[in-house]
Amino acid sequence: MSRPGFVLEVDDRTPPLIVHNGEGFLLERFPLGTRVVYPPEALPPVRDVDEAIDSALRNPVESEPLPELLRAGMRLTIAFDDISIPLPPMKKPDIRQRIIEAVLTMAADAGVDDVELISANALHRRLTPNELRDIVGERVFRSFFPDGKLYNFDAEDAANLTHLGQTKHGEDVEISKRAAESDLLVYVNVNLVAMDGGHKSTSIGLASYKSLKHHHNSHTMIHSRSFMDHKKSELHHSAWRMGAILTQHVKVFQIETTLNNDIFGGPLQFLQKREWEWSIKDQASMLGAKRGLSAAPDKLRHRIFTDVRANYGLTGVTAGAIEPVHERTVAMVHKQQLVEVQGQADVGILGVPYLGPYNVNSVMNPILAACAGLGYYFNSYRGQPIVRKDGAMILYHPVPYQFSQLHHPSYVDFFEEVLAESTDPATIEQKFEKQYAEDPWYIHLYRTSYAYHGVHPFYMWYWISHALDHCGDIVWVGAERKTVERMGFRSASTLSDALEMVSHSVGRSPSITYLHNPPHLIADVR
Amino acid sequence: MTLVRFTQETVRDVKTVARGWRWGRRPQVPRSAEPYVIPREKALFPTAWARTPAAVAAREVLLQGALNSVMRYEISPAVSGLDALGKVDGPCLIVANHSSHLDTPLLLCTLPGPWRRRTAVAAAADYFFDTWWRATASAVMFNTFPIERRGGNLSSTPGDLLADGWNVVVFPEGTRSPDGWMERFRMGAAYLAVEHQVPVVPVGIKGSFAAMPRGRGWPVPGRPKVAVRYGEPLRPADGESARDFAPKVSAAVAALLDEESSTWWEARKRVAAGASPSQSGPDAARWRRVWAQTEPIQTAAAKRQAWK
Repeated sequence: MSRPGFVLEVDDRTPPLIVHNGEGFLLERFPLGTRVVYPPEALPPVRDVDEAIDSALRNPVESEPLPELLRAGMRLTIAFDDISIPLPPMKKPDIRQRIIEAVLTMAADAGVDDVELISANALHRRLTPNELRDIVGERVFRSFFPDGKLYNFDAEDAANLTHLGQTKHGEDVEISKRAAESDLLVYVNVNLVAMDGGHKSTSIGLASYKSLKHHHNSHTMIHSRSFMDHKKSELHHSAWRMGAILTQHVKVFQIETTLNNDIFGGPLQFLQKREWEWSIKDQASMLGAKRGLSAAPDKLRHRIFTDVRANYGLTGVTAGAIEPVHERTVAMVHKQQLVEVQGQADVGILGVPYLGPYNVNSVMNPILAACAGLGYYFNSYRGQPIVRKDGAMILYHPVPYQFSQLHHPSYVDFFEEVLAESTDPATIEQKFEKQYAEDPWYIHLYRTSYAYHGVHPFYMWYWISHALDHCGDIVWVGAERKTVERMGFRSASTLSDALEMVSHSVGRSPSITYLHNPPHLIADVR
Repeated sequence: MTLVRFTQETVRDVKTVARGWRWGRRPQVPRSAEPYVIPREKALFPTAWARTPAAVAAREVLLQGALNSVMRYEISPAVSGLDALGKVDGPCLIVANHSSHLDTPLLLCTLPGPWRRRTAVAAAADYFFDTWWRATASAVMFNTFPIERRGGNLSSTPGDLLADGWNVVVFPEGTRSPDGWMERFRMGAAYLAVEHQVPVVPVGIKGSFAAMPRGRGWPVPGRPKVAVRYGEPLRPADGESARDFAPKVSAAVAALLDEESSTWWEARKRVAAGASPSQSGPDAARWRRVWAQTEPIQTAAAKRQAWK
């Protein structure tokens, strides 16, 4: 029986607590009275994954069983979530591989010849063949990739996009032509956090810039409170409207999966244990890892973290019509991640780890660090943010000035050119977005190399617009001063300094809440 | 240099862990993370031995030989209405107002011998049973048994005693009155009466507050008069709930106190007219309430009372 999440109140008996800090971690002593939100322990995984998948496909929610939807001569498209989830990537076999293999087995039995598999990466970077193979498995890769039937979605390939119409709000719905013209679109999702899945899968994953710009903008993001709660997220409302149009034209069979919180195994297992329960072995592992990482050269340290693969047990798989499936999925995600927190604090503290959705097999640049902390973790709430309006956020990350020219070329220019001009999301959007979105060089790199789309750094900045609007002060502990200053934040050497810096707005003895994640959690702030 | 720094940082980290995780000492769990443990029910002090024939005999000697003499030397009790006890057959609840530690000895010493020897007293577990010696002394002297007055599990002892044929003394106010006036009666006594279908003998005790209020360990000098008046037994009607019966018990005690200040006939008339004066006292400053309660009770010589 796994224990639910809970809120610890730091007292004199509390040992130093782990704080994620980029490619490393710290032991931090928090002021007495600090509330620390711990995620629930990993739920027990389903015993027989293959049987669970088979059962979901044959007994879908508000849909005919999958075998009945498959027939010879049909056009079948299987879309799947890209490498941005789960985080960290899961140990092989990936759950998507197991589901796709089950779907293809049924398709083969039904005599379906015309099958294509699309990585639903929207404006994310293309996946390398190896990355595709890691997700779909060797058997699927060998069967489809050489023939060009397993590929990345290209949002700039105008010839292969179909405009399905507009919502009543005037939002364009433009998605992959192959998906739009298929007799059946099977979407294979991994619902790592509550934000994923539902209509966000197809309506966003297979959509073009023309369609995405309607919800990926500063106005929508600032009114998504939060986008971990799809019922209160403008972003999701827009995706749901688009989904309604999409499902009028395309028959979608949605398969959603949920994972437990079993992320760190082996020598890093201490990272998901509660500190005061650490055994001698855990303490030794922590000391060894901490000292080892501090002695390791940057490249080796980066390699060590990049190679982390999460255990992740499957907690549920549901298939059928998008909306009822997603309701069940969200309920399961909440069961794993929801923690009740009473009231907001003056100061919120987050440790930003080495990985976000957009730097898998890459480096976390300053904009992605801001997005991981102020976009994803800040928004990991239901009800209201953990910090009161005009309160302060304190984040841990070194925020080094490092960019991947391969994966994030437009980020470099965004950082140097756009942020130097303004850090206000609305201003940036108005002045610069179009230019970056239509830049032919960025488009070329997006289509032919492994670069994120030119407009992607803007989206990252919109992602944090709610936090920028809500927080009075944002201070990074141990961060490179120049990089955080460029982003409009401040840097402190220690937590005490950071609290000192924000004391003008929150006082000398503020209430503090620290979100102890990952593993993932959603603070249900009452 | 790098090696020196690395070593220093390693030593610092090891020290942090050694201190934080208390190497060589008992590990600690933050208070807010301690598992919730259902508090163990406190074992009740056993009092059955105090109702054995030997204990009853010893108590009779203590009460009649020692306590009664001392009490009558220090105060001047006046008991009336004992004939009402003749209308009770079998065990009953004896319910009185409570404003002094004198109340229990007054009741026990004024009850006829056969009644006294079959009477137990409900006493606050947190007050009389907090130490073994106090519990033993009160059980020997007054045949007390512990009862939780701050919630918690309902004690089965009073029910068992009634079933065994013992009379039970209950002070429904739960504690001694701070100013001598009657406090709100709690439901316990009425509940017991309804549950076990036993009569309630109301008793009004007047003057005990003036004789020995809270905070005093011995009666005031001058042999103050204390009146103990037993009333007609009340029986819960068929199907009557404790909630309906409780006000009747409270009113009966209030009427007895009223009767003590006037006469039986006047008090009866006021009861019939629903005009019994409130025994919860005037809504006035504390000193006035205390003042009123410490007024000496008029002696029979001073006031002729035909119905007394």
